[in-house]
Amino acid sequence: MSENSKKTIQVPINRVEGDLVLNIEYEDGVVTNAWSRGIMYRGFENMLKGRGARDGLVLTPRVCGICGTAHLLAAAKALDMICAAPLPANAVLVRNLTLMAEHVQSDLRHGVLMFMQDFLNPSYADLPLYREAVERYETFKGRSVIGTIRMTKKILEIVAILGGQWPNSSFMVPGGVASVPTFNDIVSCKYIIGLFITWYEEQILGCSITRWQEVESEQDLQEWMNEKESHRNSDLGFYIRFAHLIGLGNLGRGHGNFLSFGQLDLPDGTAVRGRSSAYRLFAPGFISGGASVAFDQNAISEHVAYSHFEDYPGGRHPYEGLTRPSVSPYEIIKYSFCKAPRYTNLPAETGPLAQMLTNAQSLFRDLVGRSGPNAYIRELARLVRPAELLPVMKAWAEEIDPAAPFYTPVPEIPDGRGHGLTDASRGALGHWLEVRNQEIFHYQIITPTAWNGSPRDHNGVRGPWEEALIGTPVPDPENPVEIGHVIRSFDACQVCSVHLVRNHKR
Amino acid sequence: MRPQLYWLQAGGCGGDTMSMLNADSPNIVEAKSSLDLDVLYHPSFSALTLADQLRLVDDLISGSRRLDILCVEGAVIRGPDNSGMFDTFDGRAKKDLIRRLAEKAGLILAIGTCAAFGGVSRACEVDAVGLQFSGKEPGGFLGENFRTRDNLPVINLPGCPVHPMVIIGTLSAFSVGNHLELNERNAPLEYYNMLVHQGCTRNEYHEYQIEETDFGQKGCLFFHMGCQGPLAHGPCNKFLWNNRSCKTRSGVPCFGCTEPDFPQDTPFFETPNIVGLPINLPDGVDRPHYLAYKGMAAAAAPERLKHRMPKV
Repeated sequence: MSENSKKTIQVPINRVEGDLVLNIEYEDGVVTNAWSRGIMYRGFENMLKGRGARDGLVLTPRVCGICGTAHLLAAAKALDMICAAPLPANAVLVRNLTLMAEHVQSDLRHGVLMFMQDFLNPSYADLPLYREAVERYETFKGRSVIGTIRMTKKILEIVAILGGQWPNSSFMVPGGVASVPTFNDIVSCKYIIGLFITWYEEQILGCSITRWQEVESEQDLQEWMNEKESHRNSDLGFYIRFAHLIGLGNLGRGHGNFLSFGQLDLPDGTAVRGRSSAYRLFAPGFISGGASVAFDQNAISEHVAYSHFEDYPGGRHPYEGLTRPSVSPYEIIKYSFCKAPRYTNLPAETGPLAQMLTNAQSLFRDLVGRSGPNAYIRELARLVRPAELLPVMKAWAEEIDPAAPFYTPVPEIPDGRGHGLTDASRGALGHWLEVRNQEIFHYQIITPTAWNGSPRDHNGVRGPWEEALIGTPVPDPENPVEIGHVIRSFDACQVCSVHLVRNHKR
Repeated sequence: MRPQLYWLQAGGCGGDTMSMLNADSPNIVEAKSSLDLDVLYHPSFSALTLADQLRLVDDLISGSRRLDILCVEGAVIRGPDNSGMFDTFDGRAKKDLIRRLAEKAGLILAIGTCAAFGGVSRACEVDAVGLQFSGKEPGGFLGENFRTRDNLPVINLPGCPVHPMVIIGTLSAFSVGNHLELNERNAPLEYYNMLVHQGCTRNEYHEYQIEETDFGQKGCLFFHMGCQGPLAHGPCNKFLWNNRSCKTRSGVPCFGCTEPDFPQDTPFFETPNIVGLPINLPDGVDRPHYLAYKGMAAAAAPERLKHRMPKV
C-alpha cells in the first residue's frame, strides 16, 4: 500500500445481517486487494460452555435471525449423533419441510428485497431499465417487494404450524421433533405450499416450475427468455436482462472452490430421490479446479493467523477448536474476528450455487463451465433454488402420517462428541459439540458467512469474497456499487459469523 | 409532520427485523403507510450510501434534522474494556452513536430482549446491556434517570424476537398521543400484563395437573419440561406467531424470552423442582394453596384428558 498510485477505501456494506466493512485497495479504477472485516464480536460459543446439554437448541437459533431453523437443525443433528437416536420418518419430514420453508423465504427476501435494491443505485439512473427497476424494487413500495413480503411470510407459516414460530423456535430435539402435527395442520401446510407455488410461478419465474426445469443449459436459457413475454417480464427475466445490461457476469469470479455440506436427509420410505445421493436430497461435496472430491468433515479446519484470536499454528478441526479472543490496540496483522475456515486447507465458497454444482445441476454446470463463477450466476442460483425445493416440499407434506410417531424417546444425553452439518440458506453450516456430564463441554460453529467472508488463512490466502473482489472495477469510489454486487451475490450475513471483529483503521 | 424514524441494529441477531417482516394485517408496508412513517434508515432495507448515512446521522445529532422515533434492535455492546469496539460504526464504538442519537430522540423503542435487558448478548463475553436495564437491574446503558426529548423512558418491547404486532401496536398508540401505561420494567401493560400461559391450548391439562415428562405429547409442559409460560409476560398465546401458533401450542416449552433474566442459567427443557413441584410457581401464586389445589385437581382429572384425547 506504499505506492502512490494505489488508493484504499473502506466500504461498509448495508442490507446484510450485521455489520461488515471491506478494506479495498485499488489502482487505475480496479480493485487490487481486499480485506473483509466484520465489525461485531458476539462470543456465542464460549457462552454455551457449561450450559445444559440441550441448550444449543434454544440458543444457537439466536445466532442468526434469518436462518435460525438451520442452526436448530445443526444443533439437533449434533445431539442425534451423540444419542445415536433413530429418527421416525415423520420427524425427518417435519425438519425438512421447515428448513425448506426457511430457504425459500431467505432466497426470495434476499433476492428481491436486498440484492435487487442495488439496481436502484443512482449510477444506473440513465439506464433504459431503471424506471422499471424502481417500480419493482423500491423499498416498501415496489410491486415485487410487496408481493415478496406478502408471500415469504406466508411460506413461514409452515414453520409455525409444525414448530410453533419463525424465527427462533426449538421444536427439533434429539430423537425427532417436539410437536405433534394433526391432520388439519398438515392440510394447512399443503395449501400454503400450493398457494406459494402459484405465486412463485407467476411472479418470480413467469412460467411453471416444470417448464423452468427444462432449462438445462445457457442455450436453453436463451430460448426460454425468447419464448414468452411472461418469461422476460418475470422477476427472473428482469434480473437476467438487468444483469446483462450492467455486466454482472463480469464481476466476482473468486477461487472457483465450492463447498456444500449437503442437506435434507431422505426419510425412510420416501418416494423422493436424492439428486446425487441415496441419503440426502442434496449431496455434500467439494469442488476445486473443476474436480469433485468426496466430502469428509475431517478435512475442515479453522485458521486464526489473521483473526483476532490467540494464535495457534496452522488450522484446527472444530472439535479441537479454540475461541480465545485477543485484541491489541497495536495489532497490525489481524483484521477480523471471523476465523478462516478451510477445506483441505483451501478456501471455499458456499451457498446455492455451490449446492447446484456439487449436485451436478445441468444449467449451473453449463453456465459455470462456460464463464467461470460470477456474481450473476451466484444470484441466479438463489432465485431459482425454490424451483428445486417447492415440488419436493409438496411431495413431503403428503408423506407425513399424523398417526405415526414424530419422536423417539431420548431419556438422557450421554457423554460424547457429535456434529450436525447441513446447508443453511446461504451455505454450509456446521455445529461441533462435545457433551460431558449433561453439560456442553465444547461447542464450535462454522457458519456459511465464515466460509464466504473469511479473512486470510495461515498461508496468507484470501477468503472467497476477498478473492472475488480482485479485478472489480471501481469507477466511483464514493459509490462502489460493483463491490456491493459482488458481496451481496454471496448473500453476506455477518451476524452469523459468531466471532466477528473489532474495527481497525488500516 | 411525518414522524421520522431511525432504526439502529446493535449487538444481536437481526431476528426482530426478520420477525417484523412477518407482520400481517397490517404488514410492514401497510403499517408504514397508515402511520405515515418517514423511515430515515433501516439497515436491512435502506439503500443509502455510507456518505448519505453519515450525513443523516450528523444532521440528527446536530439537531438540524428531527429524530422522532429511535428503534434500537440488539444490546449495547460495551466490551472490550468499556471501549465498545466489539461493535462499531464507521470506525467508532456504536455505543457512542446510540447515546448521541438517544439524546435527540422523542421516543425510543428497545426492540427485543437484547435491547431491553441485554438478553442473549448479555450472556456472552462482550459486556452487553440493555438500553435502560441490565437484566432485572434498572440503569443499563443510558441510566435509570434517562428521559427522551419527550420526557419518556425507553419503552421496552422484549421478546426474542418481539412479536411484530407489539411493535406496530406501540407505534400506533404513540402516533395518536396514547402514552401506553407501562409496567415496572417500562414495557407496555397492553402487551406485557398477560402471561404466555394465558390462552395456551394446553391450559386444561394444566388445570388437572396432567404434566408431560417427555416431548411429543399433548399435556402441560410446566412441571417437568421447563415451560415458563405461567411466569413469562407476553402475548404469545393471544396474537400467535406467523398468524398460526406458538411454541407452547406446538409442544415446545416457553423459554421465558420476554423476561429480563433470559437466558436463564438453569438448563432449558427442565423445570427446577422440589419433590416434583416447580420451585418457581406461576406468577404471584401462594405455595401451600397451590400444593393443595394441585393435589385435588389431579384427583379430579377427567379420563379424556388423562388419555390426551383432545386434538389440540
